[in-house]
Amino acid sequence: MTFSIVEPKDKDVQKRRKLYMELENCIGCRACLAACTQCGGHEERNRNYVYDVNPLVNRQTMPLMCLHCVDPACARSCPAQAIQIHESGAVLSAMVEKCIGCQNCTIACPYGIPKFDEEENLMYKCDLCIDRTKDDIPPMCASVCPSNTLQWLTEDEIADKKQATEVGNDKWVTSMPYLEGETHVTVNLPGVLQGTVKLF
Amino acid sequence: MQKDKFFRDIENVKHPNEELVKTHCSYCGMQCGMNLRVDKSTNKIIGVEPRYDWPVTLGKMCPKGVTAYQQTNHDDRILKPLIRDDASLKGTKEGFREASWDEAYDLIAKKFGELQENYGKDSLSVFSGVSMTNEKCYLTGKFARVALGTRYIDYNGRFCMSSAAGGFLRTFGVDRGSTLPWTDLHETDCLFIAGSNTAECHPTSMFRIWAVQERGGYLIIADPRETPIARRADVHLDLRPGTDLALANGILNLLIQNGYADESFVNQHTNGFEETKELVKDFTPEYTSMITGVAVEKIEKAAEIYGKAPNAIVMFARGIEQQQKGVDNVSAYTNMALVTGKIGRPKAGVATFTGQGNGQGGREHGQKSDLLPGYRKITNPEAVKAVSKVWGIEPEEMPKPGVSAYEMFELMDNKTIRGLYLLCSNPAVSAPNLNFVRGALKKLDFMVCGDFFLSESAEYADVILPSVSWSEDEGTVTNLEGRIIKINKAQEPIGESKPDWLMQVELAERLGKGKNFSHLKTAKDVADEFRLATKGGNADYYGATWDKIDEQDGVFWPCKDKDDKGTPHMFLDKKFYHPDGKAKICALPYRPPAEEPCEKYPLRLTTGRVVYHYLSGNQTRRIQFLNDMCPDPYVEVHPITAAKYDIKHDEFILLYTRRGKANYKVKITEAIREDTVFVPYHFGHDESINLLTIAALDPMSKMPEFKACAAQIDKLKSGSVL
Repeated sequence: MTFSIVEPKDKDVQKRRKLYMELENCIGCRACLAACTQCGGHEERNRNYVYDVNPLVNRQTMPLMCLHCVDPACARSCPAQAIQIHESGAVLSAMVEKCIGCQNCTIACPYGIPKFDEEENLMYKCDLCIDRTKDDIPPMCASVCPSNTLQWLTEDEIADKKQATEVGNDKWVTSMPYLEGETHVTVNLPGVLQGTVKLF
Repeated sequence: MQKDKFFRDIENVKHPNEELVKTHCSYCGMQCGMNLRVDKSTNKIIGVEPRYDWPVTLGKMCPKGVTAYQQTNHDDRILKPLIRDDASLKGTKEGFREASWDEAYDLIAKKFGELQENYGKDSLSVFSGVSMTNEKCYLTGKFARVALGTRYIDYNGRFCMSSAAGGFLRTFGVDRGSTLPWTDLHETDCLFIAGSNTAECHPTSMFRIWAVQERGGYLIIADPRETPIARRADVHLDLRPGTDLALANGILNLLIQNGYADESFVNQHTNGFEETKELVKDFTPEYTSMITGVAVEKIEKAAEIYGKAPNAIVMFARGIEQQQKGVDNVSAYTNMALVTGKIGRPKAGVATFTGQGNGQGGREHGQKSDLLPGYRKITNPEAVKAVSKVWGIEPEEMPKPGVSAYEMFELMDNKTIRGLYLLCSNPAVSAPNLNFVRGALKKLDFMVCGDFFLSESAEYADVILPSVSWSEDEGTVTNLEGRIIKINKAQEPIGESKPDWLMQVELAERLGKGKNFSHLKTAKDVADEFRLATKGGNADYYGATWDKIDEQDGVFWPCKDKDDKGTPHMFLDKKFYHPDGKAKICALPYRPPAEEPCEKYPLRLTTGRVVYHYLSGNQTRRIQFLNDMCPDPYVEVHPITAAKYDIKHDEFILLYTRRGKANYKVKITEAIREDTVFVPYHFGHDESINLLTIAALDPMSKMPEFKACAAQIDKLKSGSVL
């Protein structure tokens, strides 16, 4: 296994890398939250979440990021059409000049992703660091994630991940069919090691 | 240059009117690469960008790293020298007034002069730290011995790395914290990690560690707590705090009994095998289990996996080192690698997770009471001769060895030491047995503290000198791999703050030692003298020039000359650093922690860190994001234990030992042993867990036993803070 130095691979939108989440890797450090504040245009507010799964029992944690749905409920529910979808599939934060602060999006989102700024009366959400990802630079969360819970991978690399943990018993528990709908982010739910063949 | 090529012209990564300065984090031994964003019009650091092309960490950072830049222009920065005229206010934040550098220097020179005139040269002391560059660490040692002429200098590595150093010196004859580069970690077949909460203390190691398991390799963790890394381990050896030596002996016994010893390696390259084999025979799985509390099957499984693994790396950290037998623990776990021959080749070896940013380099170059630059003993006449020549003194002027960090507080308490120059450390939080240590600081006739925030220790000072943060000076740091790397200056010092090396040069001039210091005008000047001073030592940095560090992404020591590229892998020739070229397998009888639980104190108290804070918290508690995530200490208690004491989650309790007490909020978790409680140590004043910890010192490393003492809980009647 090698870790390659991140470089933009292709300007072609179709071949661009995608966000991949390996939930079992999460160590709960919340570097993704801190890093989210550092992306230009994020106004130093983080747009993602990390949850303690069972805090009185163990140290399991998991990030909750926008999964950038192919048919996003937030955008569909927006009466002002403030939520645009980028050509890469990233579901952008509400346009400031259009958002009316109704919070329909937060209610509509199956994961409760959009956050709300009470003072400004505006919604804000993950835009997949669009100014970076449009050029195939990983978003800030995946750039810093020390545990590789959040990775920025090509379709081929994601297929390899699936292959590596395939156990032939329908237990590759990735995004579909367990999530609400098709998403641009691939999620491997806890259980990544279940299909691993031990070296000895 | 190929590297960073894409990085420089991407809008929103490279913002208009900004410069990206490549450097490393200010905190732990990982020394993650980062780029600081600097506004060119104001020359102020305003943010951070990942440094994707740094080979060790590939742009990854923990939350401390991401927010590290917020220290530089923080509102709490000390901008001018501060003097406190009323000594009765020591131990508080009160009474400081701003002063000029001249006034501060004059006062220090006068007071230091008076003390030395009345009580001798050794009435002064220097207590330093290793969260600063090699150049600063080096000059601090020279300053103590040449400018002050005192034997009493020691540093906070005694609370951090000294047991690892002692163990490696005894076993290998050389102390380089890792025998291999970190870029080998993910390619090994088995990681055996003892006493390291890696996911919280060295988070950017984790992507490599998880990759071992993803490849089908194994992860074995020895820790009293089910830390985030232990949660996913193939085997979690959930031992009682302070019983590592028994566990290591028990596993070694199984490795030998089950035929995993590499006889040819042992015969050719080691001493001490037969004696050790005899000693560990007593450590049957059952006996080991009785001492450690770890199930027999787990001990057997761990030994079998490590024994079978084609390549394996034994790693450890403060959990095993901060014990009164820390040195023995280090040697005992290292025995596993020597007996099985899993060392001296890529993907196999031994490593300690260095705590502080420059924990490796800072311990090598003369801040330790008995060491001179290049990792040479101050008792070695040849070393004294060589270093004296570089320093411009006569060998007979070189002070004798001093005492260790904690022992210095004992000498302050009995008034042998009357003056202190403290820098880069916060012992009023990080030392053990704090009631005693704080009392000793209060007894000092005169104390100077160099820091960039007003730490809990600075509250005991008469004069505070404003130093710069890591981002306002340049120099080298040696990371946990033994790789010498370059910290770059990103902005000019704020206010009137100065780098510690410059203060020392200017103070030396006031103390009449200008001839030994005045030629040092830049950090580079210090670096050049420093490299020369290490020449010929085990930790030889002579060939590690700043240019070479830049070209090669760091230089692993030893690096002896211009053409030497450095030494990423140690012992590839199977030559160890003892005179006969062999490593020492050590026969180490078990001894329990200094304080075992009893009827009055039935619990085992252990301490450690959380991912959001660094050491005494003087830096990280001031960063809003980090403080929001973990604003207060807490005590982790198993639900069965909590039920016995009738205490609930989030309830305040009184935790106490023979030495001190404090109130903590209870955090119920099944991820800890029933007989053990845990408190993070990052907090000051009444919240410091080190009020309770024990100062039982390792006889060799003088490391206090932070990781195990006997404690008791009292339920508070009102459930509120006392």
